[in-house]
Amino acid sequence: MSKPTLVTVSLGGCEGCHVSLLDAHEGLLDLLGKVELLASPFSGPAEMPAHADVVMVEGAVTTDEDLERLEAARAAAGTLVAIGSCAVLGGIGGLRNLTRLPEVTGRAFGPAEKSDLLPQLLPQVHPVTDFVDVDITVPGCAPETPLIVAALSAAVAGEPYEQPRRNLCDECHREKKAMLTHSAEFVSDNVYALMELEAIDAETCLLEQGVMCMGPMTREGCGAKCTAANVPCRGCSGPSRLDFEQGGKTVDALAAVLPAGALMFLEDLVGTGYRYSLPVSVFPAIHTSKEADDA
Amino acid sequence: MTLAVYVSRCAGRVDATVDVESALAGIEERAAVVRVVDDLFDPAVGEQIVSDVAESGIDAVVLAGHSVDHYTKSLSGGYLEERLVSAGVNPNRIVVANLLEQVALAHPDDPAGATTKAAAMLEVAALCAETNPPVEGIESEPKRSVLVLGVTAEALVAAQRLLNLGFSVTVADRGAGSERVARRPTSLRATASFVRSHPAVRFVDHASLVDGDGWLGDYRVVLDSTDGRTTCHVGGILLARPDDPAWVEELRRHYRVDIDEDGRARSIDPMRHPAETVDPGIMVVPTRSDDVLERDVVAAADSAAMAFMLKLSQPRTVHFQDTSAVDETLCGGCATCVRTCAFGACSLDENGVSHVDLRRCRGCGKCVVSCPVGARDIVSSPHDYLLGAVRSLARVPVDGDRVLGFLCGGCGYPAADAAAAFVGERGSGYPAAFFPVRIPCGGRLDTLYVLEAFKAGFDGVCVYRCREGHCHNLIGNLDMDRRINLLRAVLRSREIDDARLRIVDISPFEGDRFVESVEGVFDSLATLAGAKGGAS
Repeated sequence: MSKPTLVTVSLGGCEGCHVSLLDAHEGLLDLLGKVELLASPFSGPAEMPAHADVVMVEGAVTTDEDLERLEAARAAAGTLVAIGSCAVLGGIGGLRNLTRLPEVTGRAFGPAEKSDLLPQLLPQVHPVTDFVDVDITVPGCAPETPLIVAALSAAVAGEPYEQPRRNLCDECHREKKAMLTHSAEFVSDNVYALMELEAIDAETCLLEQGVMCMGPMTREGCGAKCTAANVPCRGCSGPSRLDFEQGGKTVDALAAVLPAGALMFLEDLVGTGYRYSLPVSVFPAIHTSKEADDA
Repeated sequence: MTLAVYVSRCAGRVDATVDVESALAGIEERAAVVRVVDDLFDPAVGEQIVSDVAESGIDAVVLAGHSVDHYTKSLSGGYLEERLVSAGVNPNRIVVANLLEQVALAHPDDPAGATTKAAAMLEVAALCAETNPPVEGIESEPKRSVLVLGVTAEALVAAQRLLNLGFSVTVADRGAGSERVARRPTSLRATASFVRSHPAVRFVDHASLVDGDGWLGDYRVVLDSTDGRTTCHVGGILLARPDDPAWVEELRRHYRVDIDEDGRARSIDPMRHPAETVDPGIMVVPTRSDDVLERDVVAAADSAAMAFMLKLSQPRTVHFQDTSAVDETLCGGCATCVRTCAFGACSLDENGVSHVDLRRCRGCGKCVVSCPVGARDIVSSPHDYLLGAVRSLARVPVDGDRVLGFLCGGCGYPAADAAAAFVGERGSGYPAAFFPVRIPCGGRLDTLYVLEAFKAGFDGVCVYRCREGHCHNLIGNLDMDRRINLLRAVLRSREIDDARLRIVDISPFEGDRFVESVEGVFDSLATLAGAKGGAS
C-alpha cells in the first residue's frame, strides 16, 4: 500500500511555522517515513498536485495569489491542516487591517506604482478560514514543534486531533498570590514594561508584578515558555474560544485586575489585545457602514 | 422546546397603543400556545395556563404585559410562577416580556413603532425562555430563627411577634442594646419585658457583622462583639437600623441590599412594600422621621414579622442559583474571577480550576465577564441569549437611528419602568427605536455585546449603571465603567465614533432622567457623521 501524500504550502507569512516543523530534527525523519512529500517550500518551487491526502497551509491570505493557492490547496487536500496564527487567526500581519490599503502600500512601497506582475494585496488580511473549511487548526506564532508534528501525524494517520483548550495560566509555572484574594483594589499600582521593573520575580504571576501578560486571554499548548523566561505572554496562540475575541476579553478580564487608567494610557492597548487575532475579531478591519459603502 | 405565550392587555393599557394582533404575528409561528387575556392575575387565567401546560407539554413560557419587577416586587407576585413551576415548567424558562411600562406606556404617540417593538420584545423573551438552561433549586428546611440588627422599637415589636410564633430571635446591637431594652421607658415597656424574659431570645451587644453567606431560610452570619465571635444560623435577617451606615455597609459586603440617595438601606419598593428587599430573606424597616407615630412603628414591625412568618413557616424553601458550573475543559486557573468577585465567592480548587461558593454567590455575573475563556455563565441571562437578543433586535425594522440600551436590573430597568409615569404626564413618548435588554448588573456587560451591537447594525449603544456606591454588587458599576471606557479605544481603532457609546448612571426611580438620556442619545447621534436622522 502506498504511503499517504503530503504537501506543505506557505501563504502570507514568514515561514516560521515551516522552520518550527524543521526543528523536529530527527523527529522529522519519523514523519517523512510515514508520508510521501509531494511539494513543499523545503523542496523548491512546485505546482500544487491535483490531490494530496494532507495539505499543511501556513500563512494568512493577504494577496490575490494567496487566495488562488489556498483554493487549489483546499481542492487538492483530503485533510487541510492550518498551521500557525496567520492561517488560523490572521496573525500579526492582520494588524494592517487597522490601516486602509492605499496607506499601507504607500508606507510599504512608497509612491511608485507597483508592478502588475506582483501579487496584488487584498484590502485586508484574512485567516484561511474566511474562505475554506479547515479540518485541523494549530494556532501559535510559531506553534511549538511538537504541536505541528502531532497535528500532521494525526492528519496522516486519519485520526482526530484536539487542540489544547484552556488558557495559558494552566501551563505557566508562576505562582499566584494576590490574584487568589478577592479585592476591589488592583493587583498592582501601575502597568509596567519589563524594563521598568527593578527586578523580575521569576516565580510570581507577572500580572501581580504589574506586567501586561496576555496569558489569561491566550490558548495554552506552547508550554508557557515565554513566562518561564521572564517574558510576558504576547498572546500568539489566540483565544481559547474564537467566539470570545481576544482583544475584547483583554479588556474584560484585566480592567478589574490591572489599573484601568494605566491600561488606557498603554502605548497600544488595541495592538496588545488583538496582536495576533484582529482578523478573527468582531470587527476584523476598519468598519465601513453599509451607508458609507452605498454613498 | 414547546413555547407558550400569554399576553396581558393589562386592562386595556397595552392595546391602547399596541396592535396586539399584529404584534403577535411572528410569535404565533413559533409558539404552541398563544393567548391574549385582560389580566394574567385573573384566577381563571391561572387555571387555563396550568391546563395548557398539562395538555400541550409546555416547557417554556413568556408572560407578556407588566414589567418583570411587577412579579418580583411583592409577596404574591410570584403566584403565577409558582403555579407554572408546580405544573412542571422550569422556573428559569418562565420569562417576562415587558410590553406595558417599556413599550405601550413608553410610546403612547407612536402606535406603529410600539407595535413593532412589542413584537421584537416578544421574540427576545421567547429566545430567553428557550435558551435558558433548566435550573435545579437548592432545597432547605427554613430555620425558624431571625437575626435582628439594631435595638429599636421596631426590633422589639418584630421580635415579640416572632417569639410568639415560636421563632428564636438573636438581637445584635452596635452598642449596649440589651441595657437599652431593660431601660425602655413607658412606651412599649411590656413588649420590651416580654422580649427580655423570653427563653428563645439572645442579645449580642457591641456587635459588628464580619462575615456571612447563605439565602432565605439558611443564612450564616458571623458577629464580632466584646464577648468574642458568634456565628448565627438563621432563616432571615431584619435590619432594624437602616440608617446606621456601619450595619448597612457590613451587610452589603456579604448580601444584596439596596440603598437610597442618603445611603440608607431601603426596601425593594418603599411606597408599596416597606419591608422586603432584593434579598428575599432580608427585611428592613422604613427610616423614621422624628414625628413618626407609634402605630406606624408597629405596622412596620408587623410587616417584617409577617413576611418572615410567611416565608419561614413553609416546609421548605428553594433557592435558585444563577451561576453555572465552570467548564473545566476551558478554565486554566487564571483567577481573574477570584480577584474580581466582590463577595469572595470564587476560588481555585485543588486542581487549579475555578469554583464558586454557592452560598456566597449573588449572581451578578462579574466572574462571567472577567473570564477570558467563557468558562462560566449566568443561567438567567446566558451568553447565547444576550448575544441572540442583540442580533434579533438589530433586525427589527425602524426608520432612522436604532439604539440599544443595556439596562442594569438594579437601576436602569426600574428607571425605564418609572419613565412610563413621566411619559404619561408629559403626554409624549421617547423614540421607539430604543430597544432595552435587561442585564442582572452592569458588571454582566461583556464588551462583546457592545461590539456585536454595532456590528449588527445599531447606531448607538447606551449602558445604564447604578450611581457610584449604589451597586448592590458593590462594584459591578465601576467594573463596567472601566471596561466600557477601555473599549472606546477598540471602537476608535475601527473608526467607529465612540460618541455612539454612552454610559448613564441612574437611580431606579429617575424616570424623567431616563427619558432625557434616551432622547439625548438620539439627539447626539443626529449630529454625528453619517447620521440618518428621523427617529427623534
